Amino acid sequence: MKYFIEFRNVVKKFGDFTALDHISLGIPKGNFVTLLGPSGCGKTTLMRQLAGFSEPDEGDVFVNGKRMNGLPPYKRNTPLVFQEYALFPHMTVYENISYGLRLKKLPKSDVDQKVRQMLKMFNLEGLEDRFPRQMSGGQQQRVAFARALVMDQEVLLLDEPLSNLDAKLRVEVRTELRQLQQRFGITAMYVTHDQDEALSMSDIIAVMQHGKIEQVGTPWEIYFRPVNRFVADFVGTVNFLTAKVAGRDNNILRVEHNGHILRIYSDVPAAVGEMITLVVRPECIRIAREDEGIPDHACIRGSIKSYSFLGRMIRYWIQVGNDEFIIDDNDIDLNGARSGSVNLYLDTRKIHILRDGGAHADS
Amino acid sequence: MAQNSSAKESIKEMKRLKNEPLLLIAILAIIAFICLFVVYPVIKVVVFPSLTDYAKLFNNQRWFTALKNSLLMTLISTISCTALAFLFAYVNNRLDVPCKGLFRFASLLPIVSPPFIVALSYILLFGVQGIITKQLFGIHIDIYGRTGLWIVQTITFFPYAYSVINGVMQAISTNLEYAAYNMGATRWQVFRNVFWPLCRPGVAGGALVAAINVLTDFGNPMMIGGDMALLPTEAYMQISGWYDMNTASVLAVALLIPALVLFVVKNFWVGKRSYVTVTGKETSLEPYPIPKFIKWLLFGITMFFTIFILLVYGTLVYGAFTKAWGYDWSLTLKNVQYVFLKGNQIRNSIVYGLIASLGASLLSMILAYIVQKKQVGVNKLLDFFAILPGAIPGMFLGIGYVMAFNSQPLELTGTAAIMILALMFWNIPTCYNSATAGLQQIGNSVEDAALNLGANSFRSFKDVIIPLLKAPFLSSFVLSFLRSVTCLSVVIFLYSPSTTVGTISVMVLVQSGQWGEAAAFTTILIAIAFTVLRITQGILKKQGIDLKL
Ligand SMILES: Nc1ncnc2c1ncn2[C@@H]1O[C@H](COP(=O)(O)OP(=O)(O)OP(=O)(O)O)[C@@H](O)[C@H]1O
Ligand SMILES: [Mg+2]
Repeated sequence: MKYFIEFRNVVKKFGDFTALDHISLGIPKGNFVTLLGPSGCGKTTLMRQLAGFSEPDEGDVFVNGKRMNGLPPYKRNTPLVFQEYALFPHMTVYENISYGLRLKKLPKSDVDQKVRQMLKMFNLEGLEDRFPRQMSGGQQQRVAFARALVMDQEVLLLDEPLSNLDAKLRVEVRTELRQLQQRFGITAMYVTHDQDEALSMSDIIAVMQHGKIEQVGTPWEIYFRPVNRFVADFVGTVNFLTAKVAGRDNNILRVEHNGHILRIYSDVPAAVGEMITLVVRPECIRIAREDEGIPDHACIRGSIKSYSFLGRMIRYWIQVGNDEFIIDDNDIDLNGARSGSVNLYLDTRKIHILRDGGAHADS
Repeated sequence: MAQNSSAKESIKEMKRLKNEPLLLIAILAIIAFICLFVVYPVIKVVVFPSLTDYAKLFNNQRWFTALKNSLLMTLISTISCTALAFLFAYVNNRLDVPCKGLFRFASLLPIVSPPFIVALSYILLFGVQGIITKQLFGIHIDIYGRTGLWIVQTITFFPYAYSVINGVMQAISTNLEYAAYNMGATRWQVFRNVFWPLCRPGVAGGALVAAINVLTDFGNPMMIGGDMALLPTEAYMQISGWYDMNTASVLAVALLIPALVLFVVKNFWVGKRSYVTVTGKETSLEPYPIPKFIKWLLFGITMFFTIFILLVYGTLVYGAFTKAWGYDWSLTLKNVQYVFLKGNQIRNSIVYGLIASLGASLLSMILAYIVQKKQVGVNKLLDFFAILPGAIPGMFLGIGYVMAFNSQPLELTGTAAIMILALMFWNIPTCYNSATAGLQQIGNSVEDAALNLGANSFRSFKDVIIPLLKAPFLSSFVLSFLRSVTCLSVVIFLYSPSTTVGTISVMVLVQSGQWGEAAAFTTILIAIAFTVLRITQGILKKQGIDLKL
């Protein structure tokens, strides 16, 4: 496949610290890709290599087939929305938005027309003569978007642009942003450490840790088919079960957990006797009613350790063998929370298997 | 390993500079300038005397005494400066008393005045013709020498310590003290266990600033030191009296070493030891009240020194308009007229000050910009170069210029250029610090944003950095101008009859006992300094910026 933006084996070191460790990532044209990962994993650093604020020590960066290495930032045409907006404090809204166009020496009328269009699109009409310090955070943030989008480039970079907004506004803006990006066919690269944002906006998610990419895939792949415990754990709430493969009947895998056989739908070619990890999302499991009969091969036993009441549901912490499970129970009994030993009913079709030898999560 | 990779990094970044020829040229030019006008003169002085000349420092009784006197004077004056500065800062920050504005004004005055003004006033007050000694009490005391100089140095330089200590004390939240009271600590325990430890870095920093100033001061010892030998004055005598460059160099080096030590301790040790973090978020409670008796005692002492400082300046102005100090107290304008006759020297002061400050603030701004915003491998070196002149006593720089620029191809002796260059490089650290502080306020990403939108380095500097730097530029320009107009130690070795400046005239007048004319000269210099300060403050205020000294 031909990529529009491509990183090939990019390495970036700060002294002895490796911030980017052989990163390779390709983004097709018009896609929205999200870099997702914990703080300090190198998301901003990777983006800076593309925008040209710093140069990789090894490897190449391509945009539309053209090698970018060594090209100064002002020749790269990769407008970036900064996390802290970075509006020019001495320029008005209008001057801020038009700055890039004026540098290109566009005729005044063209500049004006494009800026007006942006002001309208971002609901900033009437504010064009304000200085950044005279505006609210949300308004400043929209100016930052406008300033980058007005450049009409095929690429748009966004470094946690929503992190300074309140939760409600954040959801609104991310929907709008996604629509804009699709409408203009922009290839966007987005940085966040918010998994909801990543899942809801992206065509592709790249999960990073310690300067490496752990997994690249669609939101569905990342959520339901994580390649390892880190990815599974970082994207959403998850429970891990260590089990041993006991045998296979066609597309059903029999695994043994705590002396108990579970039957899981899976194509994973795990060998008999192999230790594996079952990835169990909270929505793949529920607490069985006391009188409910459940098939043995979909049942595990545990005992409730604690709970917290959240209104529409109760979150339970349940001891299962050596592991602790988190289970959200929507089927609330008016008499109060459950306690003691319970049966857990697994939805065995949605369970994902990791062939990691049953290793523990903190690797 | 780390060494190796950082070296590699530097090389790579130097290669990157090929894309930005302007930046590369600027860096090379700055390095060349500083090597030529700071490093080279220093080396010239250090290597000038032979080893046997250096040995004489310990053999020759008089010079050894000068060394001892200088160090001792620095020690006792530093202690008194720091104590007084602490008192002023404490009263300003922690006491609920009237007249605080007056106290702050009094502690600002000496900073904007020529350094010898306190000595001059002190002579007018307590000297042979002193208004207090002769006129009021009819007594005669010998004020020249150690005690007089000590008092004068304390008053002159405590404001420098004050500004450091006050800054730190302001940043200590009173909430911390309340937290300690809350846990059952007594007043004394709170002071000892909480307040004092937090102040300590500020006190150390303030003490070092005062020490450097006292050690390298030239004007006050010249006027009131009497026959007590000190390194700076002794070096001056050697040159002006005997044209003995050898000895002058030895004495200058003897002065440079302790100055360097103080400088290194201040910049690399104390600088990293402040615990105070300014978050600006938490609201502090009112200071916890202290017993009335102590409060008013501290107020009284502060008031005493404040009145003394005001008296110093009052006397000076009075002296400027008095016919013959000590004999004829009637008022006159002849002293002021005399100054206007010598208008050339005042004009020189202003012109040299303006050009030097313009140069210094421009160069510092570019330097600070490169160091702060451009990730080039030579940053550490540039930063070191920028603060280096701060380690060099003014008179040392003066002597260095005499030696370095007295022959072709750079024969500058006696020209205005040499005065301007010396003042300019002497002011670079001050301007650089001010520019750096200003730049740090501008987030890194603002400039990245300009680059990202298509502005090259030059455009982003012009469109974004320069407009944002107007305020720090103006304040560093003013600071530098104040320092230049009131500077004596650097220029005393460099002036010629046609390039004399105001401060030199004052010194000559004092030496020949022409008090009235000297006072008039000084008053006019201070008036100029204050006018420039007020105008700039006015300009900045319009843009909503407070100019801090
Ligand atoms: N200029 C620099 N010098 C030294 N280390 C750096 C530099 N820039 C980044 N780092 C280090 O590189 C690592 C990655 O930084 P980066 O800013 O890319 O993290 P991030 O994934 O964007 O984190 P966050 O989510 O907190 O923004 C961090 O450990 C950081 O300390
Ligand atoms: Mg980041």
